[in-house]
This record gives sequence, C-alpha cells and structure tokens, in this order.
Amino acid sequence: MIDRLLRALAAMIVACAAMILPGASRGWGRAMRQEVRDIPQGVEALRFALGCLVGASREVFGPADLHESVQEGRPSGSPTGIGLRVLLVACAIVAVLLGLGHMKAGGAPATMMLMNLIALALGLLLLSTTSMLRSFLPAPDPRSLSLLLSLLLVATALAGMTVDGATRWIRLSGLAVQPSLILLPLILLWFVRRASPASLLAVLLSALALALQPDRAMAGALAAGLLALALTRPDRVTLFALAAAVAGFVATLAQPDVQPAMPFVDQILWTAFALHPLAGVAVVGGAALLVVPGLVLMARGAGDRPLGAVFAATWFAIVLAAGLGNYPTPLVGYGGSAILGYLACLWGLPRSMTRARRPVNGFRREKAEEGRQNLRSGIIATQTIA
Amino acid sequence: MIRNRALSPAARQLLAALMEGGSGWLHGYDLSRQSGIKSGTLYPLLIRLEGQGYLEAEWQPSTEPGRPPRHAYRLTEAGRALAMANPPAVGAAHGRDLGKASA
Repeated sequence: MIDRLLRALAAMIVACAAMILPGASRGWGRAMRQEVRDIPQGVEALRFALGCLVGASREVFGPADLHESVQEGRPSGSPTGIGLRVLLVACAIVAVLLGLGHMKAGGAPATMMLMNLIALALGLLLLSTTSMLRSFLPAPDPRSLSLLLSLLLVATALAGMTVDGATRWIRLSGLAVQPSLILLPLILLWFVRRASPASLLAVLLSALALALQPDRAMAGALAAGLLALALTRPDRVTLFALAAAVAGFVATLAQPDVQPAMPFVDQILWTAFALHPLAGVAVVGGAALLVVPGLVLMARGAGDRPLGAVFAATWFAIVLAAGLGNYPTPLVGYGGSAILGYLACLWGLPRSMTRARRPVNGFRREKAEEGRQNLRSGIIATQTIA
Repeated sequence: MIRNRALSPAARQLLAALMEGGSGWLHGYDLSRQSGIKSGTLYPLLIRLEGQGYLEAEWQPSTEPGRPPRHAYRLTEAGRALAMANPPAVGAAHGRDLGKASA
C-alpha cells in the first residue's frame, strides 16, 4: 500500500518535472516519466522523480554545462547556492501544483485555484525582479529590514483585520493577507545569518506580535525555528530569543482559539484522504516537500546546518500546526500568503557559491566581520597612501 | 575567479559509465546507478551530450509486454573520443563520491 502511494507521488512529481521542461526538451520529460514507471521500488522511484524535478528546474533557469567553473576556495562538486535556490523554487511549484490537484479533485471553486496560481506567479515575478535590480541598486541591510518587517507584524496585531477574536490579517485590494506567514520565516532566516541587536529586536517584536494576534501556529513556528537554532548553534543571544518565543507561544496557548476550519484551507491534511487516497498523497507529499531545501542545506556542512535546521523546523512546525488545529496548510491549501512567504525565504538563503564560515557565537560574529572590514579598509588606505 | 573550464566530474563519470556500456543501449535509471549520478544532474547532462552530438538516444520497446517504450542511450564516435580524453578523476570511479557532487 505504502509502496503504491510512493509510486503515485513519484508519478505526480515527475509529471510536474515534464510539464515545466522547456519546449525543446519536452521529449526528455517523457523519458523521465517512463523511467520512473520502470523503477521497481517506490522509495527509489520517488527519489529519482525528485531528482528529475531538480534537473527540469535547472533546465528552466538556465541549461546545464558539461564543464565546471573552478572557483577559488570552493570545493569541487559542493552543492551551490544557486542549486539550493532552484530546489526551493521547484519545491514551491510542485507543492502548489499538488495542492491544485487536490482542490480540483475536491471540487474547489476555480477562483481559489486561480488565486494560488496568481500568488505563485507574483512571487516568482518579485524574485526575478529583485534579482535583476540587485545589479543596479545597493543591497539593503537585512538587519534594518527585519526590524521593519517585525514592526509590520506588530501593526497587524494592533490595527489589522479581526475575525473571531484573532487579528492576523490585513486587507489588500479586497484580499485578506496574513503578513506573519509571509514575513516571519524570512525574519528568522535573517536572524540566523546576521545576529545583531536589530535582528534580535525583530525576533522579540515578532514574538510579541504573534502573542497579541494571537496565532499559535506562527508563534509555534517561531519557537520551533529558534529551538532548532539553539540545538545547532547554542549561544546566549539565541537562547534569549528562544525564551521570548516560548513565552509568546505559551501566551497564545493561554488565549482561546475559536477559528472555524475553512474548506480547502484548514485540516486538509486529514480531509484530503477522505476525498481520495491520491488527493491525500498529493497534500501530504506537497507539504513534506517544503522542508526539503532545509534538509539539503543541513547536509552541506556544519557552517550551513543552523540555517537549514531553522528553515526545516519553521516550515515543519507550520505544517504540523495545520495538522493539529485550524490553521492554513501552506502551499498545498488555499492561500497566497504562505506561497509568497515560502518564496520570500529565497532572500534569506545564501547566494554565494562558497560555504559559510564557521559561525562565531552571538554578536561577536558581527563584530568580527566589522573588524575584518576595518582591516581591509586600513590595508586599502595604506596602499593608496603608499 | 575562473581558472579553467574542465569537464565536470559528473560529466566524466557519466561518460565513463556510457563507455562501459560499449555499443549497447543503456537506460536513465541504470546510468544513474552505475555512475552514482543523481537524476537531477543526469538528465541535464544527457540533454547536453545529445545536443552536442556525443550521445545517441532512441525509444526502444520494453522487454515486458504491455509496457511503454523506454528512452535508451549510447555514445557516438565523438562521444567515445570525448570519454577517452576525459576519464573520471581518481577515487571517483563508479560514482563513490558523486552522490555529494550532484543534486
């Protein structure tokens, strides 16, 4: 039974891979599908299908080269930042497509499916636009940006749209948007990459905002992400942030949560199986895909482990909350906020091809970086004078 | 800073696996297992090798009745020359280390 379900999931994923291949390579999509069909074990077929999806995404974002570009300081054959980003986009696309399959099978209104597709297209458009603008504009400072984003979460809690006692949404062009689903994972990733007083304050404000809203799912995700960070990179700053996040989460548990389950949004991890086993596989498989980039990042080495662990733990907690309570099921359920939030994580992942340096605890990491910059400036100044 | 444009370890490994197959046809899954290259790297390489004339690809009927045809591959003459000129790196034979090198 499990083998059959795995094979069905593999067939869906490889079908997605075939679908996204550029026109000139469509025949290769058929080749991948036949190959997956002929693999005897379900687990192997799933693994092969996931690889095909990554390969197809590579073809979409730029054809592969037979040659390698050997870079100074980069171990040959190490997974690249670009590969990871492609994987994240591929996981997002497949999860949304699998979710659309479930919605179609359940007879969801076409507008729901259209909204998810629009959110996906909008997210990809934003990513490509910012990617193009990077070469023209100065890079923004993630520390001040994360502080700004956390203030938006507080503003939502204070002046957002209230439904059944919870104030988690804002209305944009007639649509209810949940800012915490869009912004929180990115705030966390930036905290992992550049712990500073500003990014710590952003995390603390986020914990406060989620406690005020109240939002058990996102408060739990914040606590889970910081717990993962504390386990992989224990330092005083992280432990302090974790303590605040846990306090915020406990505060949400102490408040009543009376949100009713919305069809095609909440509880679909369970209801999808009642609809059809394949719909269940699509929803669970799509949700499971969300943590894959984090796991891949963790496997890259000690330097990337904290970031990968936080990414995986945060999205796992969001999915888990959707399974336990009436909270949106990210990407596979109806709702554009989670789709945008997942794609926004790309801005929190490393772009560089080189591996991250072994982190120094807490704010000392930032001080060390400042010291290096000062030293470099000093060297340049000395050379200029000479 | 780019220093050179050598054939990638995965490409070398794939060429070696295709060379081992001689004039026989190989399927994608078999190639992935023999070379240790994951499918995410394998297919982009196969697409590129075929596009540059190093690889022949054709649909072959399945040996099992009722099954759809499978795509099979083998090196062209130019592909064999390329494989001989670019052997896999020592220690990477049969993809022992390539699991990490490919996505």
